[in-house]
Amino acid sequence: MKLSLSAVEWNAGSWKFRADETFTPGVHLVSGRVGSGKTTLALLSARLLQPDAGAVEYEDIRSRTLSFQYPEYHITGSTLHEEAESYGVNPSAACARAGLAGRWDEDPFRLSRGELKLFQLSCLFMRQWDLLILDEPFSALDCRGKLAVCRSIGENRSGIVLVSTHEQHILPKTDYLWEMRTGKLTFRGPLPEAITAWESAPGPVRMLREQGVIPANLTRDDILEAVCRMHE
Amino acid sequence: MIEVRDLVYRVLRIGGLVIPDGSTALIGTNGSGKTTLLRLMAGLARPDSGSITVDGTVPVPGSTGLIDEYPDRNALFSRLADELAAPLRFRHIPCEEADRRVRMAAATVGLEDSLERSMDTLSGGEKVLAALLSALISSPEILILDEFDSHLDFDSLLLAENLISSSGARTVVRCTQNMDLAARCGRVIVLHRGMVLRAGSPEEIFPTLEETCCYPFSRRAGR
Repeated sequence: MKLSLSAVEWNAGSWKFRADETFTPGVHLVSGRVGSGKTTLALLSARLLQPDAGAVEYEDIRSRTLSFQYPEYHITGSTLHEEAESYGVNPSAACARAGLAGRWDEDPFRLSRGELKLFQLSCLFMRQWDLLILDEPFSALDCRGKLAVCRSIGENRSGIVLVSTHEQHILPKTDYLWEMRTGKLTFRGPLPEAITAWESAPGPVRMLREQGVIPANLTRDDILEAVCRMHE
Repeated sequence: MIEVRDLVYRVLRIGGLVIPDGSTALIGTNGSGKTTLLRLMAGLARPDSGSITVDGTVPVPGSTGLIDEYPDRNALFSRLADELAAPLRFRHIPCEEADRRVRMAAATVGLEDSLERSMDTLSGGEKVLAALLSALISSPEILILDEFDSHLDFDSLLLAENLISSSGARTVVRCTQNMDLAARCGRVIVLHRGMVLRAGSPEEIFPTLEETCCYPFSRRAGR
């Protein structure tokens, strides 16, 4: 199974996106400055945007989905019940998974943004995907919600999972690091080796690195373990 | 100073709360009422009963600088330059002066080459930065920030925090899930199911959260 962006180019005025890379099964974390092209990468990878040049190629990818940065973009139903059904999942189970048990008849727009985000992600995670693209899955979530999303991402790692995020503190167990820099996709490598060269690393990782401590991976447990090593 | 008395509105049930001048973080689980309380402070909603006042008066829309949690809701105009200039034009600032301030503001976050761009072509994080500039450009005394930080990378967040701290705003109230940011505020309010669970300084609040995932990384690291 693989996703290839072969000599892909996409232009918006003077801004250019460039990628010539391949994603294989595992969790791929994509970071980068605001406006660097992370969402463009997500849209191109999901084939919701057509490249101006090159090709986005799927090999053995039979199911795919994209979670948008803003959960309200996904809403199609007037109740959580209808919303869950639009994903083809059991509404009661989806509500329970998102901590909204018994609230299946509520209007999605009456939820807080964090509740809506977790509900929408819960619906996605109740199915298995060959290609799962998550654009800022942690924004608006409280720390327990972020940890739940990290667990769910781990359960889908037999497929290709692309996670683009600015999250600073709670990240999933990651196989490969990528960075977007002014429209150019760059492979940083597997964890933990890639951490050393990670330019857009979150604050805690930068702090640890400055102290000469490299975490084994990016999960909360990995970061806390590295903090302990720093104190030794 | 923001004062809440016997407030009932949607999930919120707050008997009494005083938010002094300075920086305050509202924290709490998803659905605890943080955004609802911020919208009341910004005058975008009225309580069913009880009262909320800002410097002794009932807040009205536009009386505070506000960044909404939905970036698309912040924009009124299609072009970035117009969006940033709007608060100045509404105050009848001469066009030349408004344009000068817009160019200066855009340059502080690296958006100076994007002024002619349509708002809908900005990335999510760029929209948040635009909303921040738009909120700050008319130098508001009260700044209400609804979790804007979750859309920003580390470096952009540092930039934004510098802009906020140098803005001259007398009162900054923000909700955030970034506990390191909350720990840097002068005061922290914990909301739970619409009620104020605790309020106090970070030194008073965070020790009670040490066994949870809400405990700031900076404190665990001794920074």
